[in-house]
Amino acid sequence: MSSTAAETIAPLSGDNRPFAFRQFSPETLKTALRQMYLIRRFEEGAEESYMRGLIHGTMHLSIGQEASAVGSCLALSDTDQITSTHRGHGHCIAKGAEVGRMFAEFFGKETGYCRGRGGSMHIADVTKGNLGANGIVGGGLPIAVGAALSMKMQKRKDVVVCFFGDGANNEGAFHESLNMAAIWKLPVIFVCENNKYGMSVSTERSTAVANIAERAVAYAMPGVTVDGNSISAVAEAVHVATKRARAGEGPSLVECKTYRHRGHSKSDRNRYRTKEEIAEWVAKDPIGRFETELKDYGILDEAGIAAIRDSVETEIANGIEFAKASPMPDPSEATRYVYSD
Amino acid sequence: MPTEVILPKVDMDMATGRISRWLVADGDTVAKGAPLFEIETDKAAMEVDAPADGTLRRVKTDADADIPVGQAVGWIYGDGEAVPDAGSAGAGSDEAPQAEAVEPAHPAKAEASPDAAAPSGRLAPAAEERPQKALNGAVGHGVRATPLARRLAREAGLDLAALTGSGPKGRIQREDVEAAATAKGAGAALTQSADRQPVPPASKARASLMPAEPAAPAPDAGPLHAVWMREGTGVPVVLLHGFGAELGSWRPLLAEIPEGVPVLGVDLPGHGGSVDVAAAGFADLVAAVEASLTALGVTSAHLVAHSLGGAVAAAVAAGTAIETRSLLLIASAGLGPDVHAGFIKGFAAATEEAPIRAWMGELVFDPRVLSDAFVRSVTRSRADGRLAAAQSRLAERLFVGGAQSFSVRGELAGLGCPVKLIVGEADRIIASRHAFGLAPHVALHLFAATGHMPQLERRLEVGRLLRELLR
Amino acid sequence: MSEAKTAGRELSYAQAIQEAIAIAMERDERVFLMGEDVGVYGGAFQVTGDLVHRFGDDRIIDTPIAELGGAGVAVGAALTGMRPIYEFQFSDFATLAMEQIVNQAAKLRFMLGGAVSVPLVMRFPAGSGTGAAAQHSQSLEAWLGHVPGLKVLQPATPYDAKGMLLAAIEDPDPVMIYEHKILYKMKGEVPEGHYTVPIGKALVRREGPDATVVASSIMVHKALDAAEKLAEEGIDLEVVDLRSVRPMDRETIIRSVMKTGRLVCVYEGVKTLGVGAEISAMVAESEAFDYLDAPILRLGGAEAPIPYNPELEKAVVPQVPDIIAAVRQLVRKER
Repeated sequence: MSSTAAETIAPLSGDNRPFAFRQFSPETLKTALRQMYLIRRFEEGAEESYMRGLIHGTMHLSIGQEASAVGSCLALSDTDQITSTHRGHGHCIAKGAEVGRMFAEFFGKETGYCRGRGGSMHIADVTKGNLGANGIVGGGLPIAVGAALSMKMQKRKDVVVCFFGDGANNEGAFHESLNMAAIWKLPVIFVCENNKYGMSVSTERSTAVANIAERAVAYAMPGVTVDGNSISAVAEAVHVATKRARAGEGPSLVECKTYRHRGHSKSDRNRYRTKEEIAEWVAKDPIGRFETELKDYGILDEAGIAAIRDSVETEIANGIEFAKASPMPDPSEATRYVYSD
Repeated sequence: MPTEVILPKVDMDMATGRISRWLVADGDTVAKGAPLFEIETDKAAMEVDAPADGTLRRVKTDADADIPVGQAVGWIYGDGEAVPDAGSAGAGSDEAPQAEAVEPAHPAKAEASPDAAAPSGRLAPAAEERPQKALNGAVGHGVRATPLARRLAREAGLDLAALTGSGPKGRIQREDVEAAATAKGAGAALTQSADRQPVPPASKARASLMPAEPAAPAPDAGPLHAVWMREGTGVPVVLLHGFGAELGSWRPLLAEIPEGVPVLGVDLPGHGGSVDVAAAGFADLVAAVEASLTALGVTSAHLVAHSLGGAVAAAVAAGTAIETRSLLLIASAGLGPDVHAGFIKGFAAATEEAPIRAWMGELVFDPRVLSDAFVRSVTRSRADGRLAAAQSRLAERLFVGGAQSFSVRGELAGLGCPVKLIVGEADRIIASRHAFGLAPHVALHLFAATGHMPQLERRLEVGRLLRELLR
Repeated sequence: MSEAKTAGRELSYAQAIQEAIAIAMERDERVFLMGEDVGVYGGAFQVTGDLVHRFGDDRIIDTPIAELGGAGVAVGAALTGMRPIYEFQFSDFATLAMEQIVNQAAKLRFMLGGAVSVPLVMRFPAGSGTGAAAQHSQSLEAWLGHVPGLKVLQPATPYDAKGMLLAAIEDPDPVMIYEHKILYKMKGEVPEGHYTVPIGKALVRREGPDATVVASSIMVHKALDAAEKLAEEGIDLEVVDLRSVRPMDRETIIRSVMKTGRLVCVYEGVKTLGVGAEISAMVAESEAFDYLDAPILRLGGAEAPIPYNPELEKAVVPQVPDIIAAVRQLVRKER
C-alpha cells in the first residue's frame, strides 16, 4: 500500500488492534457489519427480482465492495453530504436509506425514494445527506465540490464524501474538480472505489499511474491507497481525511482497491475477467473478513452473527413485500417534478 | 424446500428466452455456481449457474419454446429433500407459490411497445378529427388557398374551386372569400342546412367538402330570411345586425363563438335576404324577429345584436316569445334620443362605391380596418337599388329628423338575464354617452379609440365578452 | 410589469445586469456569482465590473478555466442551499459544460422524484457581430431550449435584462439567460431598485394588423426598425418580443397571429431546427391555423459557422432589409 503525505493514527500503546476496533464502539462495529449484510442481501434480492422480470432496465451491483461504502460513511452524520455513482446502492444504505423504499424505487413504485422516476441509477435519500447516485461517470465530482463550497460559505462543519470509480479518474471532470477543491481548500473527500475495471477495460490499460491516489500530487492534496476490502483500513483513511476537511485544511484523495464480484451491469457477459481472478477476489470477500475480525477481537460470536443475519433477512423480506404492495405512479403524472410546482 | 431454477432475465429488453442447451442432466447433482444451462437470446448465448447445491430436476418444456422470464425451469433438491420422479417434476411449481403470486413490475407490453410506455392522455396527439384533414382533398383538386380562406369558405358554404385567388400564384386569401360570399348574397352563400339536428363531426367535414348549392330559406321559417350560420347543439346564439347591414356582416365574429354552439343569423326587414319584407315601425321589427325565431323552433337564445338590432333584441328579450339567456348589445340604438342623421340618410340611399366608402368610414375609428374587398362587396350588394329603396323607407319611419323614434331603456331595466353593453368611445353614429345611466345590472364595456363597429374593430375582446355570456 | 414606471433613468444592458446582481446579493446572502475573470478583471464584457470590491472575492468568485467543473460546482452549491449565478465567458463555452447543464442541473429534481430543486442561474454572452468568429459568436439557445427542466430566457432590453435576471435568481429551478453581446452597450430606461419580469411571458412591442413578427434578443430591435420602414409603405407590423424560449408564451403568440393572419419568426440562431421552427410548428398546430392567410416564414442564421469577415458575418444572420423583404413577400398581392 502506498501512502502519500497522509497522516496515520498511531495505535494507543499496547493496543495493536486495527483502527476501527480502537476507534469505534462495539455497537458501532455491529451496526457496520449489519449494514454490510444489508447491502449484500439488498443487492442479491434486487438481482433475483431482476431475473424474475420484476425490475426494469438495468442495475450495477457492488457485491464485494461493501467495505468501502460502509467504512467511508462510518463517521459521517446525516448533515454530512455524499455524492454517489451508478454503482451506488451500498453508499445509499451506508448513508442511512431504508431498503423498503429502495426496493420500491427499483420496482418503479410511487413509494420509492424517487417516486419511480429515477430507478437504480439515481437512487438517494436526500434527507440523509445523499445528493444522488449518478448515471454519468464523473458526474458527481463537480457537484461534490459545489456542495463543499456551500458548506464552507455557510460556515457549516459538514463535509462531503465524493464516491467515484476508477473509470471516472480519467474523465476531465476529475481534474477540474480536484483542482478547484484544492485551490479553495474545500471540505471534500474524494473516495475512489477502484474495482479494477471501467466496464471491461482494466485500469492497467486505461490509467497511466499504478495507483490512482498518486494523482493527488498534481493537486497538492494528500493521496492514500488502501485495501478497500478492509473496512478498518477504509475507515481509517477517510477518518484522517475528514478530520483534515473539518479543520478547513482542504480535500484528500482516498483510493480503495476492491472488486465487484458481478459484471459491470446485468448485461455484462464477463468476457474480460477470468474465473480464477473472480474466485481469488471472492475469497477476499470483505464481509467474511470483517466477521472473522469481530470474532477474533471478541465483539461477536457465531450466534451473534446469525442473529444479525436473521434480522437482515427479515428486513429484506419486509422491504420486498412493501415494494410489491406499493402503488405504481399515475401515468398522467409522467411530466411532474420537472419544475418546482 | 428445493431451490427454484428460473429462466433469468439477462438482458435489458428481454421478456422471454429459450434454453439452447442443458449442461447438467436431469437427476444429476450440481454444485452451486456451476454452469447449469445456456440461454439463447437474439444477441448472444449465456451460461446460467446453479443457484444451490443438490440434485437437479428439470421442468418439462417444449423443445425450442420461448420461456417467459422468471418461469421455473427446474428445481434443485438439497440434502435430505425427497427428489420426485422425473415425470412429476412439474409439481415442483406448486411448491413455490411466490413465483406466481408476484405480479410483474411492468406488463410485458409496456416494454414491447413504446406507445404503451408513453403517458396516456396528456402527451398523446389529439385524436379529434380535424376539418382541415378533409380539406386536403381540395388541395388535390388544385385549389391553392390559405387556411383562413378555407375556414371562411367552409363557414360560408362556398366552393373554393369556384373562386379566383388574388394572392401569390393565385392563392385564395381571406379577402377573396369575403368578396365572393358577399357577392353571392348572404342567403345564397350560407348554405348550411336549416335543420338543427346535431351533426357528427365526420359528416360535418364531408358537408364542408360538398360544392355549395344555393339553398333557399326554409319555406315555413317565418317572415324573415334567417340562416343557420353554424350548426351545433344547445341554446343557439341569435345575431341581429344593425341598420344598413345584413346577417353576412357577422361572419368575422363567428370565429369567436365556440365550436358546437349553433348560430342563427337573421336579416331584419328591409335588409339582406329580407329586403322585400316591409315594416311600418319599430314594433314591426320586433314582431317579425319573434315570429321568425318561433317558426324556426327557437324558444330560448343568447341574443347578440348591433345598433338597430340591439334595440330590437332588447325588446325581444323583454317579451315572452323567446326565453333570452343573455343579451350582448354592441353600440346599441334605443338608448338615447339622437342618431347621426347624415349617415342614416346618406348610407341608406347610397348605391355607388365612393359614397358607400365615405359613409362606411364614419362607422369606424380607423378606416384601415375596412378592407377594400369589404367595401366593394357592400357596393355590389347595394348596386341594384333595392336595398337603398327599402332602407330609405325604413329610415323615414325609425329615424325622423335625426331622432330615434324608439327607446328600450325601460326594457333593459327589467331584464333578468345577464346583459352586457359594448360601446366605442369614438362612436360617431350613436353617441357613447347614451350608454350611461342604465340600470346597474347592465355591464358597460367602453372601448377607447373605437367607433361604431366594436365587433370589427375589437373583435377578439368582443369575442371574449361574448364567450363569457355563453358559459 | 409596466415599463411606464421608469423614472427616465438610463442604464446600459450590461449595467442593468450588474445592478440586478448587486440587488440580489444585497437582499439574499445565499446569492453569489462565479465564473472566469469575473473578479478584479470585471468580466470579459465588464458585466461584473467592480462588484468584487463591493462583495469580496468569496462571493464574486474567479474560477479556473474549467467550464465543466465550474458549472458542476454551481449545481452542487444550488443543491445544498446556495443561489449561485454562473457566468460563462462566452456562450459557446457552454458546450464544455453540457454534461452538468443537461444531465445534472436539468434532471436532478425529476430523477429524485421532486426531493430537491436546483435554484441556479447561468448567464451566456451570445451572438455575432463582434468579429470574434466561429467559436465565440454562436446563438445556441435552442440547444438548451430542447431540455425539459431548464428555463431559457433572452432579454432584449436593459429593462428586461435586469428584471429577468432578478426573476431568475428568485426562481427555484435552473434558469439559463442568453445575453446578446451587441446589446451590452445599448442603453434604455431601467427603474431603480428591485423589480422582476415574469419568466415565460412574451411582450407585444408594437401593435399592428398586417403581420406578426416574433423576434428574439437583438432581432427584436431589427424587427422594430423594419416595422418603422414598412409603415411608410402602409404595412403595419405587430412585433412580439419572444423573451422566453422555454417556457414559450403560446397564448401571446397565437393571439397575435389570430389577429394578423401572418407570421414571420426572426432569430439569430441557425434557422434549421431552431427556435423559429418551434414557434412555427406551435402556431400551425394551434387554433391559429385557421387564421393563417399566408405561409409562415422563418428568418434565421445561415447554414454556416459565423465568419470572421465583417461583411460575411452580417450576411449569415438576418438583417433589417431581410425582414422587410420577407414581410413584403408575405403581404404581397397579385392584382
